Formats: sequence, structure tokens, C-alpha cells
Amino acid sequence: MNDFVLIRKNLFRKKLRAVLMIVSILIAFAIFGVLAAFERAFNAGEAVAEDDRLVVVNKINFTQPLPIAYFNRVQGIEGVRRVTHANWFGGYYQDPKNFLIVLAVEPESYLQIVDSDYVITPEMREAFIRERTGALVGESMAKKWGWKVGDRVPIASNIFSQKNGSRSWDMHIVGIFSKRKPQADTNVMLFQYDYFDETRSFGKDTIGWLILQTTSPEVNDRVAKTIDRGFANSSYETATDTEKAFNKAFVAQLGNIALIVQLVVGAAFVTILMIVGNTMVMAVRERTREIGVLKTLGFSGSRVLRLILGETVLLAIIGGVPGIALAALAIVNMRESVGNFLPGLTLEPSILAIAFVLMIGLGLATGLAPAIHAFRLKIADAMGRG
Amino acid sequence: MSMSDILVALLHVSKRFVKGKETIDIFERLDLTIPTKDFVAVMGPSGSGKTTLLNLLGGIDRPDGGEIHIAGMRIDTLSEGNLARWRAANIGFVFQFYNLMPMLTAAQNVELPLLLTNLHSAERREHVETALKIVNLADRAKHYPREMSGGQQQRVAIARAIVSDPKLLLCDEPTGDLDRNSADEILGMLSILNRELGKTIVVVTHDPAAARYARRTLHLDKGHFVEKELAA
Amino acid sequence: MRSLFLQIAAVTAINIRSIPQRFWLSLSTVVAVALVVMVLLSFLAMANGFQRTLKGAGAADIAIVLRGGSQSEINSVISREQVRLIEDGPGIARGADGKPLVSAELYIVVDGIKRSTQTKANIPLRGIGTEGAAIRKDIKLVAGRMFNPGANEIVVGKSLLSQFQGFDLGSKVKFLTTQWTVVGVFAADGSVFESEIWGDLPVVQSLFNRNNVFQTVRARIDSPAALAELKHFADADPRLKLDVKSEQEYFAEQSSQTSDLIQKLGWPLAIAMALGALAGALNTMYSSVAARSVEIATLRAIGFGGFPAFIGTLAESLLLAGIGGALGAVATYLVFDGFTTSTLGTGFTQVVFSFRLTPALIAEGLALALTVGLIGGLLPAVRAARTPIVKGLQG
Repeated sequence: MNDFVLIRKNLFRKKLRAVLMIVSILIAFAIFGVLAAFERAFNAGEAVAEDDRLVVVNKINFTQPLPIAYFNRVQGIEGVRRVTHANWFGGYYQDPKNFLIVLAVEPESYLQIVDSDYVITPEMREAFIRERTGALVGESMAKKWGWKVGDRVPIASNIFSQKNGSRSWDMHIVGIFSKRKPQADTNVMLFQYDYFDETRSFGKDTIGWLILQTTSPEVNDRVAKTIDRGFANSSYETATDTEKAFNKAFVAQLGNIALIVQLVVGAAFVTILMIVGNTMVMAVRERTREIGVLKTLGFSGSRVLRLILGETVLLAIIGGVPGIALAALAIVNMRESVGNFLPGLTLEPSILAIAFVLMIGLGLATGLAPAIHAFRLKIADAMGRG
Repeated sequence: MSMSDILVALLHVSKRFVKGKETIDIFERLDLTIPTKDFVAVMGPSGSGKTTLLNLLGGIDRPDGGEIHIAGMRIDTLSEGNLARWRAANIGFVFQFYNLMPMLTAAQNVELPLLLTNLHSAERREHVETALKIVNLADRAKHYPREMSGGQQQRVAIARAIVSDPKLLLCDEPTGDLDRNSADEILGMLSILNRELGKTIVVVTHDPAAARYARRTLHLDKGHFVEKELAA
Repeated sequence: MRSLFLQIAAVTAINIRSIPQRFWLSLSTVVAVALVVMVLLSFLAMANGFQRTLKGAGAADIAIVLRGGSQSEINSVISREQVRLIEDGPGIARGADGKPLVSAELYIVVDGIKRSTQTKANIPLRGIGTEGAAIRKDIKLVAGRMFNPGANEIVVGKSLLSQFQGFDLGSKVKFLTTQWTVVGVFAADGSVFESEIWGDLPVVQSLFNRNNVFQTVRARIDSPAALAELKHFADADPRLKLDVKSEQEYFAEQSSQTSDLIQKLGWPLAIAMALGALAGALNTMYSSVAARSVEIATLRAIGFGGFPAFIGTLAESLLLAGIGGALGAVATYLVFDGFTTSTLGTGFTQVVFSFRLTPALIAEGLALALTVGLIGGLLPAVRAARTPIVKGLQG
């Protein structure tokens, strides 16, 4: 036997009580794990953004179009390594409810720029560029719909229609790509801008936005200013920003997700702190005489204090670890259903680290009052004066 | 009696309790000497200060005046930390209600004081086995207190008290909660510990039978001793 | 029967009067339940407020015409020819001057700076026809005046003014290369239109290079039956590949997605927290029973039945949970009710809405609290009733 055995035995003296406390802690940490992962996923746009990528959108709003002529004009600006353009297609598959992220892009340049996010083989690249109706589909979208390379799928748009009146475009899937970065979203379909622009009934020769890579992050600011100055006072003024800033601003529109998460998790933790803390105070008070006995045996006040803190820390870990495991399980299950608008929902190692620190902190906080009480307990008082 | 034979010496020890506005003097300049290998029974009516005396001897309580020397060490001036350490090495306690940890086995209970030493687990186990053998409970090592009778529990408590080989054994009403047979058993065991293993024992008790087992009996009345010697 | 009632009353009184002995533990249960109810109610109030705002906009007597298959206004495109055809459609009410109450509109998304976060967010600029304000119910100008046709003037909704900066009466706002002046502020009965900016349709069209392009047509219809007529009319004409629905229907569709989402997040979260609070309540109640085991056993030795002990414990648990629930409801009301914020609606623009706590929602919160109290008290109550008297007397 040793101190650990003593701690463990004390903790489980009343099994039901210990189990109830463990359940409380478990739930609090499960909530923490899930919400922290959600908050990270919401802000993942920041993580996936490359430092040297800028986004050029219409200054009024990113839903407004830009003329395709801007593509060539931006290419010529100093500091721009390469540039591509993309259009939001507003796609859905079969039922308008099944909305898809579909982009009409300039094939060669777009693939080059997103090379850091996706794994695209030379065969895929060649097939995509060569075939007019070719489409590249991300693996999570392909998996969801059971599509394979070679399939022809009709994708409809809830914004555009073809000149011939039809609402859907036939896409020939020539490649299915996977992600290079964990936060990248493979729930996306790419097809050729030319195919799109030639067949659509309105909006010809306009693009949605430009993505460009600068020669180095240091020139980002200068390049952005040059671009915007160049188009100022025209019919289509631009707003150029880093990809990171753009993604961040977009999420900010949803509201302060981080704050909500913190408030809820905070509430959950305050709750368990009170419950577990009070229970421990009670539990230790029941042991007053035993603490006295330990002290008569020669256990010092600080040793008794350490035994009690050890007990609450052990409790926090026994409850916290399964709680995080439960969160991980829940996240894996949720990934399917929320995958559409929250790709990259994972329990990152940094969240695990924070959880561990919280467990230790919780253990110390709940044990502090009873441990100090035991430390100060005078043997004569504990044993009764007889 | 030579000075080196004296294990316990109380010199002019005073102790008072303050209860609101009232001050009660338990002891006033009390003197006591206990030689090694003595077995003393301290008897007296409730409120005479028997338990307080025991607490003072064990370093659980501090006197308000006077000096307490045990095994050549003056303990009334030791700091809390030193007192704890000293107590672990020198004193064994036996209480009326056994005070065993309910969730530990007999062996684990006996092992508790050894956690305060530097012994390895193998060595600790040896000492525990020896102690349990002395109290005739080797076969009950893995049992929990709730599975044992009162007398057996008290024997485990005694084993715990002697496992680190203390100089002084202090017992507070050790038979108070036991039936006659178990009580005799316990007193007999204490007697053996005294005569065969040379332990110095102080027993505070109401039990008149204790006087028969002890070497001498001290009567405490209103903070003073009345001595009665008995043949060894 | 009276005896049983007296017994129950006596035991319950003992239980409840002994709560102060376990003050901190009981308090922690109350706080736990209060927090659970707060989380649930704030989510529900959010969803409710959001839905209300959108529902409030939908009128049953206004038909909204969109391009067939468009999910929302922003995706719709209607040509001038189609607008003219609709204007002559059946069932459309006419104004005092005999002109049809029809407003062809353009919905443009522009940017504004949110006051609270100082970040950019999308807001709608709606180009409305001359009848645009007349068609909608309860539009009142609370400051300034309506814009003049053909002028670079805009009026802003009350909610938008409160959430975004730079749109105060008289300020000049720049969209594209032209300046607009805010000449009025309007209220729309708290509906979603209050989060919009309105301008004269032709001006908006020309300045955003959308000449002859419209997105929706809104028309006041004579009666709900007239809607079917108009629909039929549109379906029959091959030039009109349009969806005709009542505005109410349209907004109901719009709001359901987001408020569903908020509820889908809120309920599971609240239930998870409730389980945690339940564990706490069980803990408290078991401790309570243990602490009073001697009293309960004594009563039973005297002759009190087990049933009163059961009720007494259950009553204690329900009381603590009930207090927690009430506290949570009051706190939510004080902190959140009326709290105005905005978030992304469909169509990628901000919808300004207020948290709205209703008695019905509060009832849901209290129901959750009492459920926790019931389940948390049940097993301990059983133990209180069934522990053998002798064991109880041992303490």
C-alpha cells in the first residue's frame, strides 16, 4: 500500500457518491470538448488560410460580381505571383434542399493556387483542363453522394439558368481529390469557368472573386493597396484583403461564437465546481476523526493536505478523461451532419491539452477548502476531548 | 530508580481549559515519572483529566506550564512538524473506538504508520506480518474491519500501534467498548507486550480489571495523583 | 386519511427545515438547476426571437413572386417583361388611383460596420417601387421623410440603425462611387424589414448596373383566394417561370432553417447540462437522506409510515429544483429578454432580432427543472422510505 492506494480508497468510500461526482465532471468535460471543437471549426477558416493568399472581391459586397478583365489586369501587378478567379454557382443536386458548394474556376491557375490545400494528381489536373465539362469533386462530397470518377451528374443552380432554359449543367467527374491540410474542406466541386460562362443566360464575362498569391507575405499590404487603388472610382471597385482576414470577417457575421461557447462552458464548470466542491467538504468532514488518527500516527498537516488534494485531482481526472473521450465520439458522429457548413470538426491536440490543465485546476479548486480544513485540524478537536 | 531508566517525566505541568468566561484548571503543577518497562493504569472519575493527561503524553496537546520529557527529549517545545515526526517514531496510540480506516484491510491499517518511514514495501510487509502475528491475527490480514468483532478490531489497532516499534504505548479506554471476555483478552495482550517485549504502557481506563494486569495504578482526582502500588 | 396527511406534512416540514444544515450543498443544487434552465431558455429565446422577426414580416395578403426555383430573393432574377405581365395579373388589389398595388424590387447586399464588434457585416439595400412602402403593413416613418423618386436618397430601418453605425439621419453613405443621404428612419413593427435600407428602385438599378433587372415582385392581393388565382395565372403562361407564394409562406421557409439550427444546438446542450445537474441533485438528496436517517427512523419507530418519508424527501428535491428553475427563468429574463443582436440569415445578410422569452418558454424551462428535481429525488426518497428502522437509528 502507499499514498495512492490510500487516496483511491478514500475516494471510493461511498461508491454511489463517487460515481455521481464522476458523472458530473464527465458531462462538463464532454460539453467542453464538443463546444471547443465547434469554436475551432468555426474559426478554421483562419487556420486554413495561407499567409501569401489574397482575396479580391467587389467593394460593395462579395456577392456582387467583378468583370473578367480584372483577371488579366491583376496578373500584371508587381508582387503578384499568380492569380485565379472563381464564381459561386449556387448549386444543388436533385432537390433544392441539397445545396452544394460548387465553383466555376479558371482551371489551371486555380489548381495551382489551392495546391497547398488539396492533393491533386497530375492526371486529374490534365483531365480537368482538357475536358470542357470536366469536374473535380472533393472526396467528402463524392463520398456523400456515392459518385465515382467517370460519373456524369446533373448539377442545378438556384441562381443561374442556361441559355437554352435548362437549370442544370451536366458535369463529368474526372477526378476525386483529398485534402492536404486537416482543416481543408473537400465538400466542394470545381468545374470550368468557360463551360459556365458560355452557357449561362446572364452575367456573361463576370466573375465572383479573384484569389491571388503574392511573391511573399511582406508585400501583401502593398499589393492589396495597389489593386484597390487601381480600380477605385470605377463601376466595379474592389476590396482586397488577406484570405485570413476575409474568413475571419465572414465568421464574425455569425455572431460572437467564441463568447457563447465560453459562457456555456463557464456555466457548466461553475456548476460542477459547486457540486463537487461541496460534496468534498462534506466528505472530508465525515472523516474528521480519521484525520485525527492519521495525525496521531504522525502524518503531518501538509501530508494530510496533499492526500486530500490528490483525491480531488484523481477524481477530476477519472471524470475528465472519459468526458473528453465522449466528446471525441460525439464529434465523430456529428461530422457527417454538420459537415456541410462546418468542415474540419475535430478534437485538436491543443484542446486536449487545455482540457488536461482544466482537470488539474478543477481538482485543486475543489480540494482546496477541505484540504486546508484538514491541515488545520487539531488532533484534540478531531478526536473529541473525551 | 536511576535517571536513565525514566522514560516519561512530567515536571510541574499545568493545563487549563477556557470555556467562555470560565477557566477550568485541569492540572496545576502536576509531577509524574514513568520508568521504562512500566505498565501504568490511570483511573479516576470523568472529568478528572485522564484523557488530557494521555494527550499531553502523546504530544497531541501542549501544556500551559511546566515541562514534559519523554525518552530524554523535551517535547512541549517542539514545533508541530517536529512533533509529528517524533510521534511517528516514538508513540503508539490505542483508542476506545479502535479508529481503524473502514476501507482498508487489517494489514493495510497496520501498515499506515510505516508510510511515514523510508522502508521499502517488502520491509513494510515484514513488519506488518510480525505485528499481526504478535496479536494473533495473521490469518485475518486481508479482512476488513466490518468483518471482525470488536475484540479483533482492537487487536488490529494494537498491532498498528506497535508496528513501528514505539517507545511508549498510550491507550485511551481500550476496553471501553468490549464485552468482558474481549476486554480481558486485550488487557492480557497488553500485559504480554509489557512483560515479554518490554513495552512501556500507559492505560487510561474505567475498567477495574485493568488494575490487575498493570504493574501500578494511579488514581487521578481533580488533577492530583493518588498512588497505589501493586506487586509485579 | 387525515392522519396520513398530517404525517406527510410533518415529515416534509422536518425535511425542509433541515435544509439550512446542508446549506451549501443544497445551494449548489439550486445553482446547478438555475444554470441549466438559463442555458436552455436563452437558446429558446434566441430561436423564438429570430422566428418572430421573420414571421412578423410575412403578410398573408402579400404575394411575393420569385424566379422559379430560387431559394431566396437574392437568387431570383425577373425581367421587365415578366414584371409587366404580373402587374396585369388577376387578384391584385388596386390603390385609390386605380393602379395595381405592385412593387418590383431589387435586393442588393452591401456592407456596414456593426456597432458592437466594429467588424464588417452584410446588410440589404432594397430598391423598392413607388408602392413599396404602401404594400407592406405598418410601415411608419419615425424620423425624417421618405426618399424622393429619382434621388440618391435612402431610408433606413430602426433596427439597422441601432445595430450599425454610420446611418444616422442626415449622414452621407457611400456605396460604389455615388453618395446617398439618409433622409428617414422607418419602423416596421419589429419585422425583418427593419433591418433593411430602402432606396428608389430605378436609382438603385442604374447605380449597381442592374438596369432592367428585378429580383422580386410583391403585390397586395385582394384575398387569400386571389393568391391561388395569381399562381394559376403564372403557371399557365410559359413566359412566367415564376414561383408565387404568400409572403408569410416565404418567410416561414426562410426562418425555419436558422431557428431549427439554434434549437438543435440548444436542446441537446441543455439536456447534457441537465444530466450533470441531475447527478448533483442525486448527490444532495442522498446526503440529505443520510443526514436525517436518525430522525426519519425515529419517526417510523413511533409509527409514521414509509410513504410520508417518501413524499417528504421528494418534496424537498422538487422544492430545491423549483427554486433553481425559477431563479434561472428570472435571470434569463433580466439578462436576455429584449437583448437585440443580429446574425447571418439566409441570403447572407444580417437579420436583426431580439431574444424573446415567453410564458410558454418559461414553462418549458420550469418543466425541465422539475424533471431534474423529480428524478433526482425519486431514488433517495425510496431509500428514505425503505431503510430498515434499526439501521436508520444507528445513524
